[in-house]
Amino acid sequence: MTDALQVETSGETVGEAKWAALRELEKLQPGIDKAAVRFQVLSEGERGLLGVGYAPARVIASVDLSAVVEQEAPQEDSELGGEVRGVLERILEGIGVRAQISLREDDESLVASVVGRELGLVIGKHGQTIDAIQYLVNAIVWRGQVDGRKQVVVDAAGYRARREATLEALALRSAERAVSSERPVELEPMTAVERKVVHLRLKEFPGVGTRSEGTEPNRFVVIEPE
Amino acid sequence: MSKEIVEYLARRLVDEPDEVSVEEIEREGAIVLQLHVAKDDVGKVIGRQGRIARALRTIVRASAARREQRVMLEILE
Repeated sequence: MTDALQVETSGETVGEAKWAALRELEKLQPGIDKAAVRFQVLSEGERGLLGVGYAPARVIASVDLSAVVEQEAPQEDSELGGEVRGVLERILEGIGVRAQISLREDDESLVASVVGRELGLVIGKHGQTIDAIQYLVNAIVWRGQVDGRKQVVVDAAGYRARREATLEALALRSAERAVSSERPVELEPMTAVERKVVHLRLKEFPGVGTRSEGTEPNRFVVIEPE
Repeated sequence: MSKEIVEYLARRLVDEPDEVSVEEIEREGAIVLQLHVAKDDVGKVIGRQGRIARALRTIVRASAARREQRVMLEILE
């Protein structure tokens, strides 16, 4: 893995394809510097005549992530942020990965994003390493504390956003299956955060209801036709 | 590096960090990390339904991945 982030998009015009690419990059790595994004035009696209000969414009957009880190204004970490950063740095050192950590915090959660190269090792198969890191970081910073816990999310190379998109697609497919088969559909065991993504995505979906069943760590979502 | 990270994480999780030690031994071609903690702290490094122990093992695996060596973690009193 390199520390460049790359997406390929298409649109009716080169301009639209570039715009789509920027939105995609922003989703993968919030706060990217748009001026640092490089475009490569694969195809100018053909407007076509009466729908004949139409071909979309295609571009590849890439951004160097090491540039992103440098451009973020240095900010003072909160007390929690400083602690999270400290624990995370030790874990990354233990895994043998050199990376930067950027923090975003609001009233409900703190997101610590790992930015750098070789993040595959930090994410692990099916995200199990990054989930383990996140679990340990939460256990350490909230040790012995029952109240006032703020969710600490550990992310790397936009993994959480990608995973969320995968879960949403799975939720929709499974809901359609529940409706057409008129039978409940059970999903794989997921973490609380992941289950929440599924519940929220299907909240407005007509004809199904969702609930969680089982005990941690094997708790899973059931989608039921109504 | 696996040893250091286990030691650090265990110290941060327990009530008696001074009682934490990690011994590295070799057994059948694999490295075994024996994590010792105070008796009352065993639950703290195992966690509810073993979730902390499982997370520690996952980190150990990641930290050993580059050296392609099998590293196991044992938790002892």
